[in-house]
Amino acid sequence: MSVDIRLASSRGKGADLYHGEDPGNIVTPGDVITADTGFMRGHGTYMEEDCLHASVAGTVERVNKLVSVRPPKTRYNGEIGDVVIGRVIELALRRWRVETHSRMDSVLMLSSVNLPGGELRRRSEEDEKMMRSYLKEGDLISAEVQNVMSDGCLSLHTRSLKYGKLGQGTLVQVSPSLVLRRKTHFHNLPVGASIILGNNGFIWLSPTQDEQDGDTGGYQTNLQPVSHSDREVIARLRNCVLALADRQMLLFDTSILHAYEASMKHTVKELLKPEVIADVVDLVRQRMELEGS
Amino acid sequence: MAGMELLSDQGFRMDGRKSNELRRIRFKKGVFNQADGSAYLEQGNTKVLAAVYGPHEIRGSKSKALHDRVLINCQYSMATFSTQDRKRRPRGDRKSQEMTSHLKQTFDAVVLTELYPKTQLDIYVEVLQSDGGNYCASVNAATLALMDAGIPMKDYVIACAGSFTRETPIIDINHLEESSGGAEVIMAILPRCDQIVFLEMNSRLHEDHLSAVMDHVMAGCKDIFNVLNQQVREELVRRTVQDSLVDSG
Amino acid sequence: MADVNLSEAEKTFILHSVQDNFRDDGRSCEDFRHMEIETGLISNTNGSARVRLASTDVLVGVKVQLSPVDPENPEVGRMEFFLDCSANATPEFEGRGGEELASEITALLTRAYGCPSTMDYPSLCVLPGQQCWLLYVDILLLECGGNLFDAMSLAVKAALFNTKVPNVTMTKDEGGIELDVSDDPYDFKRLDVTGAPLVVTVNKIGHFHVVDASEKEEACSLARIMLGVTQTGTITAMKKEGSGSLDADSISDMMESAKKVGVLLNKSLLKALGEEEEQGTEAVGFLR
Repeated sequence: MSVDIRLASSRGKGADLYHGEDPGNIVTPGDVITADTGFMRGHGTYMEEDCLHASVAGTVERVNKLVSVRPPKTRYNGEIGDVVIGRVIELALRRWRVETHSRMDSVLMLSSVNLPGGELRRRSEEDEKMMRSYLKEGDLISAEVQNVMSDGCLSLHTRSLKYGKLGQGTLVQVSPSLVLRRKTHFHNLPVGASIILGNNGFIWLSPTQDEQDGDTGGYQTNLQPVSHSDREVIARLRNCVLALADRQMLLFDTSILHAYEASMKHTVKELLKPEVIADVVDLVRQRMELEGS
Repeated sequence: MAGMELLSDQGFRMDGRKSNELRRIRFKKGVFNQADGSAYLEQGNTKVLAAVYGPHEIRGSKSKALHDRVLINCQYSMATFSTQDRKRRPRGDRKSQEMTSHLKQTFDAVVLTELYPKTQLDIYVEVLQSDGGNYCASVNAATLALMDAGIPMKDYVIACAGSFTRETPIIDINHLEESSGGAEVIMAILPRCDQIVFLEMNSRLHEDHLSAVMDHVMAGCKDIFNVLNQQVREELVRRTVQDSLVDSG
Repeated sequence: MADVNLSEAEKTFILHSVQDNFRDDGRSCEDFRHMEIETGLISNTNGSARVRLASTDVLVGVKVQLSPVDPENPEVGRMEFFLDCSANATPEFEGRGGEELASEITALLTRAYGCPSTMDYPSLCVLPGQQCWLLYVDILLLECGGNLFDAMSLAVKAALFNTKVPNVTMTKDEGGIELDVSDDPYDFKRLDVTGAPLVVTVNKIGHFHVVDASEKEEACSLARIMLGVTQTGTITAMKKEGSGSLDADSISDMMESAKKVGVLLNKSLLKALGEEEEQGTEAVGFLR
């Protein structure tokens, strides 16, 4: 039984280790990026009087002729092919409304899911009525973005065996800008748990599945109690992910594994304390620097 | 109120400032985790918290949705302990409703609303301590919160209030100066394009003095802008340098 | 409290973790999350405090006012609670959205502090039978992260500890007795909060119970009890909440837990407040 009350004045000022010079590509809303008309406008910019202005505070990115500004924190902007994790909030006509922390609720059409048993057939009325038995309100799914509609609404699909309803585990929510687009977002970590890094900032931690029972697309969930050691691994990973997110470090399998190893000298619940978080994140940063150089 | 000089013979105000001096400004972005964007701002003794949620799906009746723009929803609320005399209701009274609609009007003009049709953007402002310039501090804090949330805007929106006493315009007035009965000119501008998005004047002011006061208030807004912009840029620089060190292939 | 919709599998996971005494962030069933307190942030008040418990953020301001006594208790001071759920916490609190929650919490706090032994109410009486100090305790909820009742009671106690009640001089003249409230910022008296209670919420999840539940855990719990516990383990108020039912044995187990945790919580709070007073640094507020 432990109670830990601190004074706010003992909180540190935050990582102040980098006094870099202005790289020159930081802009704030209203700044003129360029007066050259040859560039195309990307996200975060707007055109006024033949000048390209920034509309958000962030870094300017130039890819060939496309200029855009990337803010450090933003709601999820979906793109085709992204892996996301979402929570079903509503059942509508032949579709599920899924919450993905983007501008509008995403949509998972009945025609875009795998039927149990892996059948391939046209969806009938029976299927519409049985929608709730496949996925109901509150269920978590992993899916891929199939299409982005004109108003920004995302259309998802789970037509591959690795997507579908998620079983036992923990969901962690971080800012979407901390998850980079990689080749694969599903990782079976060597420490004994699986992790799914959703591009929308939802991160799913679960015990490693021994056998891929994904033939059914994961409609039967295993409700057996998870072993204590697995639980410990998942709790530690959860605290590590939150620690990295708190210091705005990018999240991918390497950084999370480094954080895990750095955290081994503390007990899992000590990772909730700010000084331990600072310690672990510093170790990770040093290690990434070493590997990067 | 008689005998209370807002401006002394040497040119000092009640709190020791000169006529065109601003109060101390301190702020922090990203105070809360759950809101999409948040900011805390202090202008002298006025302390304001702003939080932004969105853009997100419209809650409640879908009929309120605007088919081509985002719906901006504001709420201005004052804590019951924020004023010298305890306030019975934090919001819902006429003054708060008026402030709410002023804030909505201000941000409708500056957020790039066409980018997010059929969605809703919530801007909530909570005044923790009130010492004059509530609207101004709210606007400035909300601008920072919107930037923290990554919502596209044309420019910063900076607001400042000014008055006129003993033939001199004074800017960034506090509660004492507001309630002294003199004229009050409140302006919100886009500092880089010199555009005025909100202008209000209370009490009586001779039209000969109006342009002088407006010029001073505009200059005050630009000074506030410089203070805010500098710190925002510094924080962004620090973050980018951190990011680049850990971004490996 | 913000509603978190969880899937069956997630709820099962949490249920088993509580059974295992190893919650999803590694805490045991009787551990509290990391907390930060600070007092003296708002200068317009007679006392103020802020508590951050994980992502729950609460700000309390105390203002004192001379007012007529309560005819039923003419020799003691009064205390009134008010909770404002700010829309900053969640858009659902916009307008009058938070009123239900507010009335629940204020009712419990009023009962917890209603017991005469919790605060030195007689000392707040200025003119017996006529005038007394009325303490307006205003709570502002800024962010919801689970376990709101506990965080608020901590902030209330800290704010009361910080409160400075100005001294009153009484002068007799023909019309009656004149009361003169001192303007001097150094002429005040402090409140004795050693008997003040803290609310401890115990949530029942499955067959076990947890203290300081996060929002996810609260969504899995069907019933909870809230106890007002003082430093010595005395219980000043109790309330059961939730749609589930509890049997007598579970209630007594939960009460034992709550008492243990409550005593420790009181001790840690007073220790932290004492430390802060010694340090005497300027309030940091929201700037860090």
